Amino acid sequence: MKTVSLLLLMFSLSGSLIAQTDYAYETFDDTRIVNGHSIETNQEGILTFIISHRFGTLNLGAYEQFGLDQATMRIGFDYGLTNNLMIGIGRSTFEKTRDGYIKYRFLSQSSGDRNMPVTMTVLGTSAMRTLKRTDGIDLTFTQKMAYTTQLMIARKFGSRLSLQVMPTYLHRNLVEDNEENDVLSLGLAGQYQFLKNWSFSFEYYATPSTYLPDDYYQSIAVGIQIDTKGHVFQLHFGNSRGMTEKFFIAETTQTWTDGGIHFGFNITRDFTIKGRKIR
Amino acid sequence: MRYSFKLLGRTLALSLFIYGSMPKPEQSQAVAELLYSLGEPKPDHYLKNSSPELIQRGEELITLGKTIGPDGKQSSYISKYYVCTSCHNTVREDPNLTVVDQDARLDYARANAIPYLQGSTFWGIVNRETWYNDDYVLKYGDLVTAAEKSLKASVELCATVCAQGRSLKDWEMESILAYLWSLEMKLSDLDLSENEEKILAGDATPDDEKITLIKSKYLQKSPATFVGPPADKRIGYDHEGNPVLGKAIYELGCQHCHRPNGESELVLDNTDLSLNWLKRHIPDNTQKSIYEIIRKGTYAEYGHQEYMPHYTLEKMSNEQVEHLRAFIENPTAASVN
Repeated sequence: MKTVSLLLLMFSLSGSLIAQTDYAYETFDDTRIVNGHSIETNQEGILTFIISHRFGTLNLGAYEQFGLDQATMRIGFDYGLTNNLMIGIGRSTFEKTRDGYIKYRFLSQSSGDRNMPVTMTVLGTSAMRTLKRTDGIDLTFTQKMAYTTQLMIARKFGSRLSLQVMPTYLHRNLVEDNEENDVLSLGLAGQYQFLKNWSFSFEYYATPSTYLPDDYYQSIAVGIQIDTKGHVFQLHFGNSRGMTEKFFIAETTQTWTDGGIHFGFNITRDFTIKGRKIR
Repeated sequence: MRYSFKLLGRTLALSLFIYGSMPKPEQSQAVAELLYSLGEPKPDHYLKNSSPELIQRGEELITLGKTIGPDGKQSSYISKYYVCTSCHNTVREDPNLTVVDQDARLDYARANAIPYLQGSTFWGIVNRETWYNDDYVLKYGDLVTAAEKSLKASVELCATVCAQGRSLKDWEMESILAYLWSLEMKLSDLDLSENEEKILAGDATPDDEKITLIKSKYLQKSPATFVGPPADKRIGYDHEGNPVLGKAIYELGCQHCHRPNGESELVLDNTDLSLNWLKRHIPDNTQKSIYEIIRKGTYAEYGHQEYMPHYTLEKMSNEQVEHLRAFIENPTAASVN
């Protein structure tokens, strides 16, 4: 009887303590940081419309309006299937690329009874480059495809600073002779919120040089975000023009050192499509 | 002479005995049923038959926004944006049911950890006689005319307009009414004096006077006065704020919806980021100012139906707004006190 009472007491205590768990929230302002994803997922039933632009490089000079005359863009839709699972599709003018992804947050940073130091999200993407080749060869569906698997590990330090690391595996079905089909990269990203709805962000993909042929560089970007609640505006500078993983992780052709910097922006708008559990 | 005193004493004692032993009304008796038994007509929201199953469905519709319908299938959300308890409590809010006393309600909310919300509580709402009152009628006119006199119409208006949701099905309305009837006032809630209990139990008082007595023990409506922000937001209302009470309003009121994954996208936590942001915008003539948002709220817009309803004067006094401001401007003072 004593054992049963003790078990009951422990059970009731654990129940009351679970209620005291505090989960980290708004680790990042958006599901994207610059080009890549953050650990954030849409809430259930929220459809996000994303429009992104990347312009030419600043070193093109005044005649090209420092790159503004050369825009590439991506239009995408993201949708939250649950509060932790989301999917998305997009189409980019950059090499006429279609992409899709699925993303699942399986661990949330928390304190209190349940202490978890980080949030972890896994991402799977696919991209299909549909730009016709100039040599007249028609590629098969499979040859056009590239896939990415990424684990995102993030922690929010206090109320302002968040950091994220992203070990990434990229596979391209078809590559040039001097490229590798499989690429491993380690991404690093962060956000510092200096006002309630203003923050700085950075994103860096440390792709080893062994995976990068000559004239290919590691992707580095910095930006500023304005979260107006409903819209998120992300304005940034980076040396990658492509907005899908295949391009910015392994096919970045510009470098900061000679002014090969693209200005770009992402604008997102949320729409509530269906109800969710609020309380 | 001595005999006369003895007789008088015995008569008095007997009278007191009879008076003391008169039956008192049952404390658990429903106020509405007592009124009907005295001749009060039944309202259109009166529900003849209820059941635990109906009440549970109603409670889920109120608190979750959906339930399992009579056909065994999951119903769709009434609103994509809110549940009823986003704006309404389901428990008693006021220690004294006969007056509007914001300070007493806030103290009661603090003591019982009850959210401090814009909407009136559902507790006892079936006992009321009008719903959208006073300035709601003046401002919204025909939109609330039917709802003013009908709880059913009020529930429907709340679902379709206030919650930006859909029209209720008949079984949903019946379930919600069943749940609301489960929250009706009991005689024990009315703080009747012993004398008043005896009046109600006796035959000496006419029924219409008993009805008047019962109704004098609670408000039949929830008064609603719309007021504007102060003339000069830098100065504020002419009251001194108490940061301790302001913290309670912030946590029981603002954070009810402005929480992570809450009704609002704007999370207002206790960090300096949130509080400094609120403080900086106090003098603004936009909805970022606490004066503007509390007194005017926001409106549902095409493509962004989520909005914040304003607080009437009865739901948050001018002095309480100053309490909130005092906390925002000096949050550490709330912990010092």
